[in-house]
Amino acid sequence: MIRLKYFILTGVFALALSSCNSLLDKMPENVAPIAGVDYTQLSNMYQPVSGVYRIAESANPGLVHWMDLGIRAIRGDDTDKGSSSSDQAQLNEIKGFHYNYADIVSFWGTNNYFNDYYGLILDCNSALTELSKYAAHIPASDAVNQKLNLQYQGEVRFIRAFAHLMLYRVFGQVPILTDNSQIQTIGKSSTKEVLTWISSEMDFCIANLEDARPNQSIHFGAVTKYSADMLKAIVNADLAGNDNASPYWQTVLNTTNDIINSGKFSLYPDYYQLFKKPGKMCNESLFELQFSDFGTSSGPAVEPDAFFAFQGPRGDQHGSPISGWGFMNPSQSIVSFLQGRNDSIRLKTTVLFTSSPGHNYYVTPSNDTIWPNSDGDNYFNGKVYLPSSQMTPGRTDYGENNNIRVLRYADALLFNAEAKIRMGQNGDAPLNLVRARVGLTPITGATLQNVLDERRAEFACEWWGERFDDLVRTGQAASALTGFVAGQSEFIPIPQTQINLNTNLK
Amino acid sequence: MRKKVWYMLLLLSFISLQVVAQSVSVSGVVRDAENNSTLPGVSVMVKGTSQGVPTDLNGQFTLSVPKGATLQFSYIGYQTQQLIVTSNEMLNVKLQPASTAMNEVVVVGYGTSKAKDLTAPISVVKPETLMQRTVSSPMDALQGSVAGVQVTTNGSPGSSPSVRIRGVGSINNTGPLYVVDGMFYDNIDFLNSSDIQSMSILKDASAAAIYGVRAANGVVIITTKSGTLDTPTKVTYSGYAGFQTPSNMLKMANGSQYAAMELAKGLTSDVAHVTLSAQKFGGSGNNPTTSTNWYDQILRKSAFTQSHSINVSGGSDKMTFSFGLNYLYQNGIMNTQNNYNRFNIHAQTDYQAYKWLKLGYNVVLSNAILYSPNNAAFAYAYAASPLYPVYDPNNTLAKPIDYASSTSIGFSNGQFSNPVAAANYYYNKTNILEILPTVFAEANIWDNKLVWKTQLSQSYTIDRVVGYTPQFFVDQSQMSSLAGVAKEQDYYNNLVLDNTLTYKDQFGQNHLSVLLGNSVRTEMMQQATESASLPSTIANTTENYYIHNGIGINANDNGSQYNGLSFFARATYDYASRYLLTATMRADASSKFQQKWGYFPSIGAGWIMSEEKFMAHQHLFDYLKARVSWGQLGNDAVPPSNGFMSMNSGIGYSGIYGSSGTANGAYVPGYVSSNFFSWLTWEVVNEWDGGFDFSMFHQHLNGTVDYYNRVTSNAVLNSPQPMGAPTLLGNFAKITNSGFELTLNWKDKIGDLGYSIGGNISTLKNTVDNLHGLAYIMGGKAEFPNISEPGQPLNSFYGYKVVGVYQNAAQIAADPIAVANGLKPGDFKYADVNHDGVLNNSDNVLLGSYLPKITYGMNLGLTYKNFELNIMLQGQAGNKILNMNRANRLWYSDMNGDAQLVTHLWTGEGSTNSYPSALGTTKGWNNMASSFFVESGSYLRVQTIQLAYSFKLGNAPKAPSMRISFTADRPLIFTKYSGFTPEIGYSQAYNWGSGYDTQTYPTASTYSLGWTITY
Repeated sequence: MIRLKYFILTGVFALALSSCNSLLDKMPENVAPIAGVDYTQLSNMYQPVSGVYRIAESANPGLVHWMDLGIRAIRGDDTDKGSSSSDQAQLNEIKGFHYNYADIVSFWGTNNYFNDYYGLILDCNSALTELSKYAAHIPASDAVNQKLNLQYQGEVRFIRAFAHLMLYRVFGQVPILTDNSQIQTIGKSSTKEVLTWISSEMDFCIANLEDARPNQSIHFGAVTKYSADMLKAIVNADLAGNDNASPYWQTVLNTTNDIINSGKFSLYPDYYQLFKKPGKMCNESLFELQFSDFGTSSGPAVEPDAFFAFQGPRGDQHGSPISGWGFMNPSQSIVSFLQGRNDSIRLKTTVLFTSSPGHNYYVTPSNDTIWPNSDGDNYFNGKVYLPSSQMTPGRTDYGENNNIRVLRYADALLFNAEAKIRMGQNGDAPLNLVRARVGLTPITGATLQNVLDERRAEFACEWWGERFDDLVRTGQAASALTGFVAGQSEFIPIPQTQINLNTNLK
Repeated sequence: MRKKVWYMLLLLSFISLQVVAQSVSVSGVVRDAENNSTLPGVSVMVKGTSQGVPTDLNGQFTLSVPKGATLQFSYIGYQTQQLIVTSNEMLNVKLQPASTAMNEVVVVGYGTSKAKDLTAPISVVKPETLMQRTVSSPMDALQGSVAGVQVTTNGSPGSSPSVRIRGVGSINNTGPLYVVDGMFYDNIDFLNSSDIQSMSILKDASAAAIYGVRAANGVVIITTKSGTLDTPTKVTYSGYAGFQTPSNMLKMANGSQYAAMELAKGLTSDVAHVTLSAQKFGGSGNNPTTSTNWYDQILRKSAFTQSHSINVSGGSDKMTFSFGLNYLYQNGIMNTQNNYNRFNIHAQTDYQAYKWLKLGYNVVLSNAILYSPNNAAFAYAYAASPLYPVYDPNNTLAKPIDYASSTSIGFSNGQFSNPVAAANYYYNKTNILEILPTVFAEANIWDNKLVWKTQLSQSYTIDRVVGYTPQFFVDQSQMSSLAGVAKEQDYYNNLVLDNTLTYKDQFGQNHLSVLLGNSVRTEMMQQATESASLPSTIANTTENYYIHNGIGINANDNGSQYNGLSFFARATYDYASRYLLTATMRADASSKFQQKWGYFPSIGAGWIMSEEKFMAHQHLFDYLKARVSWGQLGNDAVPPSNGFMSMNSGIGYSGIYGSSGTANGAYVPGYVSSNFFSWLTWEVVNEWDGGFDFSMFHQHLNGTVDYYNRVTSNAVLNSPQPMGAPTLLGNFAKITNSGFELTLNWKDKIGDLGYSIGGNISTLKNTVDNLHGLAYIMGGKAEFPNISEPGQPLNSFYGYKVVGVYQNAAQIAADPIAVANGLKPGDFKYADVNHDGVLNNSDNVLLGSYLPKITYGMNLGLTYKNFELNIMLQGQAGNKILNMNRANRLWYSDMNGDAQLVTHLWTGEGSTNSYPSALGTTKGWNNMASSFFVESGSYLRVQTIQLAYSFKLGNAPKAPSMRISFTADRPLIFTKYSGFTPEIGYSQAYNWGSGYDTQTYPTASTYSLGWTITY
């Protein structure tokens, strides 16, 4: 008996000691360490790039958060806040340039904007780190992959630069963030530094990106050399401002010429359908955010958060999927402007009306009915409208399966025309290409104002703040926008929340 | 009764006087009848005289007494014993411990102790206290009963209360560790109160330190029922049945009050709500007749609840057993499929296999079905306009039920969903299976002095969640074009293996006990989730809730596993049961941290002052013990830190390419890497505690008073980062919680009337000492944040201070702030704290914390013959609540509001200085974080009123006894808070932290009839 006793005790004691230290070296479950990536597998080299596109297609972080587009675009004279007048009332305070109001200083929306775009930039920087690790494993003899690595870096650097441009357009002096370890301490750069940096980034991109149309890329829809040309043109136009003598106009001209002379791009013939399903990733597209429901009636679909719903027709739409929150509506000013110049194709594309003669509803060119609302919203944004007939059966979210257009060939043509005219050359040819597509008669001896008017009409109610930026850079903002004070109203102060976290942003 | 004693004593003294004879010398030794240890200081008196001596340090005494005299042995904590001296014998007196509080056996970590030997404040909760309440969770039942323990209940059936012991030292997992029969748990909702034999709450570090790394928030040790040796089988059946009804109903603005507010705004959309209601649902012009009380529509007037428990227990000379079965049903007060069913089995057997070896097992099996409600319906009910009805036959698109849509009166947002439809088009069923098997072997190696115990405790939890959304349509923002089914399976498997070696001995007056232990544990979780849409050909019956038939299948999974290894030791020593010393040490290692090992020592000392000679002649204190203790605790209940860069891959991190006019597009595999990771070390709590336990006035008054000071260093806080970087956890803070705890209970009898009155009160001062150099850390909801600042309570609400309402244009013109912000009369005036004429961030002030400064409980008990009456009160004071229901107006300006708000809006000069104008409620200015939204959460509640009657069923001596009771649980609350309930726990729906009132499930009052039959 006693022997049994000690036998058992010895056994238990041994069990206790067997619980050794290896028990404690347990790696966390379901967290993949970066250290586990095999960088010699060069076939995976595009993966961090694809990841960046996906974040760019997202809201938080990403490029497409509804509030961010609201803050950026509301300041133009082409949009009204819409919805009910008290809904997201801060957007109206921003539209009135009351940036100093206490509830704007602490507004969640501006902080959201800052975080969304810098959050994307952080992911871009991480992806570049990943690409450099792959680069370190490419044999010296493997020129193909070395070139690809540079190309992939270019794609990421393009998106990072575009995010900086969007930050610049709202906040002006923003940090140029290329090293994620600096987020606690980084200070602001001047607006010129930001724009110049973007331009120099585009030089790298132009040198290394594919010489192709985005829809010709192996990664269909990826940014290419010409996307970088376009972005470079935009920031150089911003740098040039309203100074016709500025040397930056030469850069605008060169880069847009580069796009035009490639012969790869053409305007999509049907301006109305350009923004609908048939126009997705057409030959006009220089940069587009792609989404998909994969043609399935249910299950996973990739959508840009509430980007479309935010701008969808408000009010009781009688069960139609053509419905949303009713923000960012075409202003009376842009409607009158388009009507005044008989720009009927752009009018029907840009504006969804809520009534038509003899009816208290409106029937769109694609046969959807828009019913009126009790909020006094008379127009809704037609450029986000995807007709129900083009939706995948079973899907009901407004705009589902549509892409978001970012940069397109029309912009290259109009900047080309503008640069030419400002430099004393004739800009008629590129301008008239854009006009002809929407059935407008050609202009001979076009003036700068002709081009600016065309830009106003062509890009009306789009999402990247083109109209406001055009008014600011051409010095017309103070006359066109109520409450705008030059030198004060261009940029919203950096959100207090960010200053609290990094006092160098003050 | 008392009279009888007097007669007896008189008689005895008379007898002793009668037999005065020659003296004899008696000597002897007095021992504890239970553990045979000698007892020093026992009073040995000759009955009826003042002659007597105390026993010496070895428990011995010598006394000369008249032959035949009666010797009376009395000692605090023991039953007084009398002996008639017959000869010069050597007396061997064994005193039985009295069943007083001081002798109660208290379960401490890895062992037991007597209350009087404790050097730490440990509260013991008796099953009777738990059984008095008609609530589903045992922790709910002790709300208000224990000083220093704050319980915040949640009204939803089957939900967990949040429990805090002595404040908050960490943002993560502020709840205590629950040790159920040796197994570690984060909550004990699965247990039934009737299966609990004892509950010990280890409040301070010296008691809890034996649990080292898991003990930073205190420890609750639960022992489930077991039988006792040599006891006849006892059968108990107890139960209750009753109904719950919503209490403290929130009064919302009715139709005409809401209409008045909307008209006063004068905005197109708002006026349209009123006129459209009149046109469509009755009334004329601006006078609609519809007035829907949405809370009435979604709440039940009475929800049934019942509980039945049978316990059988007993024991022979070698074995003990206990067996329990219980069933609990609680219907929710939301008028939808919302209830909690729980069936528990509990079985225990210990068997003395050999003289030296005891084997035993203990199993709890809990099987519950929970139908969860759609809590969003509560938020909808708050926001919904009263101007449209529940049903609308003209909403022809609505299917399958003709619910009315708020779009019919001009609303256009999912927040204005029909609350009744939201509650009803919802199905969420969770099957919860918990199995807790424990086996142990205990070997008495050497004469009860050296005992080895090995215990293997396991816990298996399987949660199976099935959610279903039918195909329905109310309006474009409240619809589901296809039915959907979503499933989740969670599997938890935790294991603890404990080995302990206990040595107990005494050397004269020195009593020593040493415990050495080793513990290994693993915690494992696996989770799988799947969802799919169901084609409309599949009928809506629960039998069809399978992914198998679905389209668009989505699947995901997750898991975690942590391991821990510990060694621990405890030594307790006392000298003459008067001077007590306890020391513990635990070394813990956890796989969660980069720094693996942590060491947690503690020490406690006690002095039973009433045993001292200088206290011998006072009559105030029957018992007085002074205690002081210090200890360190760890907390690894924080998310594990990776300590390395990680990546995310899969379709969520893969770009879409090729989505063109003619092609659908596809994912190209991608991944996103994160530079940001946390590097955590142990949170360490340093706590000291000083206190007294006392018994006064012939043990009528018992009490405990404690002061504690606990400092958490390296507290893990979430720190938001700039530029959209993910919030990181870090050891950022040092936090102090300190306070007093006082518990007093008075018990006496006047004739047949027995009464007891008791109370407990605890104070809490929570302060952030430093943030490792940071000036502050923001938290909570971005627009209604909280802030942690050195010198202030953790997570204090933060915002502007409302000082009034601008009454006229002159006041606006005179104030540069009002001018700069474009204000109008009827807007709030905020304090310009730094008087710089600008309202900005530097004018934000701390608006109070969600932590109550005072929590208290009171109880009153009366017994008269067979009747009993118990009343319990409970409350708290000094805490703040952020009323998110009101604050939601920032986003949803045309929502309804509580009647208090809507009927007191500013309407013109002099109307009010506390509420903005109707138009003002729509402005960002008036909806910034401010003192307007932060309200006091103080309350006093009548927790229970119970009236009971006990009687025997029949006249036989062994006849079963029966007790019948009527209980009103939470019948009344007194509070100024303008929401449903001031009990606001952690907001589950959002990750904002505690104190934000949103989607809160209202609390209910329960009225029930209960019974207990014991045989």
